[in-house]
Amino acid sequence: MKLDGAFIVEAFVRLLGAIPTTLLITFVSVACGFVIGTAAALLRIYRVPVLHRLASAYVTFIRGTPMLTHLFLIYFGLPYVVDGLAELLGLGFRSASIPMIGFAYLSFSITAGAYLSEVVRSGMLAVSRGQLEAAYSLGMTTPQALRRIVFPQALAASLPNLSNSVIGMLHGSTLAFTVSVVDINAKAQIVASTNWKFFESYLAAALIYWGLTIAIERMCGRIERRIGAYNRGGVA
Amino acid sequence: MEKPELRYVFEFIPKLLSSLHTTLLIVAASMALGLAIGVLVALPRLYRVPVLQRLSQLYVSFFRGTPILILLFLIYYGLPELLKLVHIDVTRTPVLVFVILTYALHSAAYISEAVRAAVEAVDRGQTEAAYAIGMTGFQAFVRVVLPQALAVSVPVLANQVIANLKDTSLAFSLGVMEMTGKAQTLVAATRHFIEAYVSLAAIYFVISLILQKLFQIAERRLLKYEGPENAEPSLPFKERRRRRLFGSSAMRLPWKEARADEA
Repeated sequence: MKLDGAFIVEAFVRLLGAIPTTLLITFVSVACGFVIGTAAALLRIYRVPVLHRLASAYVTFIRGTPMLTHLFLIYFGLPYVVDGLAELLGLGFRSASIPMIGFAYLSFSITAGAYLSEVVRSGMLAVSRGQLEAAYSLGMTTPQALRRIVFPQALAASLPNLSNSVIGMLHGSTLAFTVSVVDINAKAQIVASTNWKFFESYLAAALIYWGLTIAIERMCGRIERRIGAYNRGGVA
Repeated sequence: MEKPELRYVFEFIPKLLSSLHTTLLIVAASMALGLAIGVLVALPRLYRVPVLQRLSQLYVSFFRGTPILILLFLIYYGLPELLKLVHIDVTRTPVLVFVILTYALHSAAYISEAVRAAVEAVDRGQTEAAYAIGMTGFQAFVRVVLPQALAVSVPVLANQVIANLKDTSLAFSLGVMEMTGKAQTLVAATRHFIEAYVSLAAIYFVISLILQKLFQIAERRLLKYEGPENAEPSLPFKERRRRRLFGSSAMRLPWKEARADEA
């Protein structure tokens, strides 16, 4: 068999249509994960009684198990919980009406939350203590100081890790095919199944993922330079 | 759907453990191979070899920029075709070999970055001292720089091993009977989805905890040459006990206590 160059191009074009799904899954899971992660990181940094143990357990468990098991546990476990609750409360809602992609969103957000909580935590610890003290001495409350002083600097410090996490979630989104969501990976399978040219089809998919990864890296590099502008040395 | 029962979890754990060896084989073989390839790939960039340096960059960028699931399919379907061009027939090679190769190539990309960073962290004076006592470039690298660099990169390598362990859960997609594949056959046979995946998650969790502890011990041993100045400062008994119980990752209030490292 020869490498079918024309089919790589054809597969590439057909796969482009699945990019929005992949990006949407990545974006939703990183955005929700960031909220969950920040909450978990704050609970652990301020050692909120009981809750910080729960946050630690959550982070350790999720980081110690494959993303695929989270997806399966949510996919099979959630309907059971939802139906049980609905029956208990007498609601008409049934788990069958949850769209497939909803399971992917939820499960990937939970995964991303654990990884991002470590990113946020290390970012906040990188901000020196004097910054917070200076904010207090100006009469700011803790939430004000966190929001105006610590978070912006922590964000700048954690951008490289953040970009790695985004790329990790982009790559993780390939698992969505196991719950029948048609992302780039699933599309590559579908495209190849018509003529069994799997290699060509996956090569096109690999190129797309590679391109997306480089684009995310570049973008984060640019943001990093902008956000870190306050931190420059020199005189000009 | 039936009510999940805990007893199935206990019933499934031994059944899943029966394919633990495949999972561990993939992890161990791919890490060993990946370490070798990773060091090789890092070399051209460390010694700034023209052309090869670019190729190594391209390799790392591609294998880090493509999801492992795509790589699995790409190598499984692509490699036999490529080898056919040089008249090597691999159609009878077991799938496991392709899986191990994929994970090795994937981790080699990450390992090469770790090795590069670690070698640059070794003081330049070490190489110079090695040259001064008459070692060749090869001797200096293998005997002096590499051992120190490996010690520095243990935490990164440990992360890679654990990441690899979790990634092996994707090997089922090529039909390899590792733990996730086994879990799916259990599910197909018994229809106890939740219990099967809970036991699966529990096993992965315990293994990654064990690996993490082992690497902590290894790191402490490898860094022994650094002497007592890098040893952990002695802590009050209550703190020691707390750390033994909860690990040192449990945090101090960062802003409310003076930091020991700044003093």
